[in-house]
Amino acid sequence: MEKLIQMAKRVCDQAEIYSEENTHTNVSFQNAQLHDIDSAFQSGLALRIIKDGKLGFAYTKNLINRDEFLQNALASLEGKVVANYEFPLTKDLPPLHTYDPSLENLSASRMVEEGTRVCDLLQSQTNGEIFLNSSNHITKIRIINSEGTDVSSKAGEYSALGGIIYPGSASAILRSFENKTFDKMPDQMIHEIIELYNLSSKEVEPKGGKMKVMFMPNSMFTLNWRILTGTSSKSIYEKISPIAHRMGEKIFDEKITIYDDSLNDKYPHARSFDDEGVVCQPLTLVENGVLKSFYYDLDYGTKLNAQSTGHGYRTVTSFGAYEAITQQPSPALTHLRIKPGNKSFSQLLKTIDRGVIVEGSMGSHSGNIPNGDYSVGVNPGLYVENGEIIGRVKDAMVAGNVYETLKHVIDIGDTLYPSFLGAWVPAILCDNVSVATKK
Amino acid sequence: MFEKLRRILGKIDADYADIRYEIKKTALILFNGKELSQISSNSADGYVMRALKNGGMSSVVFTKENDAEKALGTLSENTQLIANNVKRPVMLAKTEVVKDTFIPPLKEDPRKVTMSEKLELVRKYNDIPLKYEKIVTTSIRYREVIREKYFCSTEGAQIREDLVTTDLGGIITSKDGHLTQNASVFSGGSNGFSTLRDQEKNFEERTAIALDLLKAQPCESAVCDCILSPLLAGVFTHEAFGHFSEADIIEDLPAMRKKMRIGSQLGSDVLSITDNPTLSDQVGFYSYDDEGTKARPIQLMKNGVLTGRLHSRRTAAEFGEPISGHCVAEDYRYPPIIRMGTIFIEPGKLSLEELLNMLGDGLYMVDTRGGETSGENFTFGTQFGYMVKGGKIKEMVRDINISGNLYKTLLDIVGIGNDLELSKIGGCGKGQANIRSCFGAPHILVKNLVIGGA
Repeated sequence: MEKLIQMAKRVCDQAEIYSEENTHTNVSFQNAQLHDIDSAFQSGLALRIIKDGKLGFAYTKNLINRDEFLQNALASLEGKVVANYEFPLTKDLPPLHTYDPSLENLSASRMVEEGTRVCDLLQSQTNGEIFLNSSNHITKIRIINSEGTDVSSKAGEYSALGGIIYPGSASAILRSFENKTFDKMPDQMIHEIIELYNLSSKEVEPKGGKMKVMFMPNSMFTLNWRILTGTSSKSIYEKISPIAHRMGEKIFDEKITIYDDSLNDKYPHARSFDDEGVVCQPLTLVENGVLKSFYYDLDYGTKLNAQSTGHGYRTVTSFGAYEAITQQPSPALTHLRIKPGNKSFSQLLKTIDRGVIVEGSMGSHSGNIPNGDYSVGVNPGLYVENGEIIGRVKDAMVAGNVYETLKHVIDIGDTLYPSFLGAWVPAILCDNVSVATKK
Repeated sequence: MFEKLRRILGKIDADYADIRYEIKKTALILFNGKELSQISSNSADGYVMRALKNGGMSSVVFTKENDAEKALGTLSENTQLIANNVKRPVMLAKTEVVKDTFIPPLKEDPRKVTMSEKLELVRKYNDIPLKYEKIVTTSIRYREVIREKYFCSTEGAQIREDLVTTDLGGIITSKDGHLTQNASVFSGGSNGFSTLRDQEKNFEERTAIALDLLKAQPCESAVCDCILSPLLAGVFTHEAFGHFSEADIIEDLPAMRKKMRIGSQLGSDVLSITDNPTLSDQVGFYSYDDEGTKARPIQLMKNGVLTGRLHSRRTAAEFGEPISGHCVAEDYRYPPIIRMGTIFIEPGKLSLEELLNMLGDGLYMVDTRGGETSGENFTFGTQFGYMVKGGKIKEMVRDINISGNLYKTLLDIVGIGNDLELSKIGGCGKGQANIRSCFGAPHILVKNLVIGGA
């Protein structure tokens, strides 16, 4: 890599190499039986160069011929993609504990044993169909650039996503356990799955209308996506964010505080630098309902006369299988947190006279995302009357606009759960949300 | 290359094993508004190996040839671990052992078009929406993905196939005051660069829709009868029905598997659905799947009765049903899974006008924003539609999201148009993100859909 940087420096103004190595093993159980074990050993690297304010880009899985690789990046300069930013010189990063070596010795048979334990437990107490996917994932990243930056990170994660499917559907009560090292799925989590499943096994057909809606962490992804689009420097630059001119104003209920938590190594995948080698720092997007900041990468920071906030990642803000080396950095907030409240799930439940708990959502990618609109199917939706779960509602949709919905927050749960794409959020109970049903 | 692959295969102790090596060449040009934000042309590669021994089947993926030994070790261990733990040993249905090379014929090879010519074409199309004041931004992308695949197995199969995909399109965003709307635009296919030429009218039409949407009214939540456009009916067919014709999805969902029994009357008697990966010139076209099985058309439903299913060799054996050649991987990073090729509702006899008359009052929904399913329930979004009163198309409405129950909806499809249309761009996010899954339908009339409203 060093040699390649030296070669690049001779022919352009700046250069950066991002390299990644991934090892993972996935173990999956279907209908409470072991179904698949898949492993992967993958690697690759990406090169960005800047010459006369123009950007060049290339990637490869196997660096066999350095010269050819560099020529490919040089060829893409012809496109004249403007790059008025500079790669940073990053040193003295805060030390983070992101890797526990024991993960390297975690055998697939130990994962099978744990998976069998969880499946047996779930199966013994319900009549549903049990699934579990566990994964042992180790990622090494290194970024070097022509300014002298040489930073690297090694991170490990053991995760287990399991749940109970309502027979006749593919809809489930599920929970995700994500940890820096191997551990058993906590009993409390397993019991929560069982309890919610058993309480909601009866199908009900309530009348629709405006009512209380509790977004659980699995469905908060729908709202997170719209918040992340509205606060992205890319949306500000493209003039499609409805909150572009509302800095310092109250946009949500005062109970809502949203921040980035890259540096907190209690959670898996903490980062002290982003995918452009910029130092990560704490960032609050919304504090007590007031809009405090947007997030930037190097490119959009420069375009908007601001600094990168350390949010340039080689990722995509949606589901889908992307490979980091093939992506160029763009503004992404990969460690989203919403500040928890102080009510337990059962306390929140008691305050619902009539409403729906949205355990998961379907179609979060549909609708006018920049505008904050959402209209999602409940997957599943638990119907509540007088503080008790009555059953499961099917064929129902929950719709609104995030900038309206989060103005009517009744209360927030006290526990953070993973909510896809690196976010950890609590359950949020909102008032006056539109629920459409067949009745 | 095949010699090298055979050498690696030779080292594995298994009842069956296969290996796939792929080179994936990707060219990308991306405009965000007036600015060109990406242009690149790159190549990536890797190996995927699968093995079956004593009823245990597993896969391993690796990038570097040097990692082959390590990967083989892991594969053997995992295969053994599964064999020791499964109640039903995995078996593979028999398939014809093929030695073949298939390079698809192209109408203009994208590799022979220079990057600067491609760039000028994208710029020309991107400029079409941007000349309007109320179009605030665009995200228009040219993507060329060429997969060069080498497959061989211990049974003696040896297949070399190329998949060439080009598409050009994206999102056109309009804004008026605080209201932002958008319309998507697509062109592309599997048969060469020529499908991307002469798209000016397409871009003009889609721009007009993005602008019209600023004046359209949001849709109120309701339950109503609807006509779905071919594209939307295609998304419904893919999402709500197609995924449950994929044997690997229902294999271990006992209740669903029981419901999806071959011979069950699940749909109305006007409804027939087929998946056909062998339709050349379509995005869903391929010759052999990633298990080396020759692709073939499968009629999934005939007059409402379930008649067939999409299979891998593993599920065909498990279900005791014929192999279909539908086990496909996204690229060198994945083992294959069951996927639709080109799934479509077979055309009926009714014109759009006749369907509108049958509808009377309701909604005519035009474009897709994608969908999702949870088994019996599904949701999908449409970019826009029109109110229909007395069989006549009236005002435009926006932000329509629909949900429904699969089994009820299949029975509620009461009218099938005569105007079959297939999608120009593919895409399916089941586990991996496959760009070569195509869908289509004629206009269809569906009763009793739940509209989520805005």
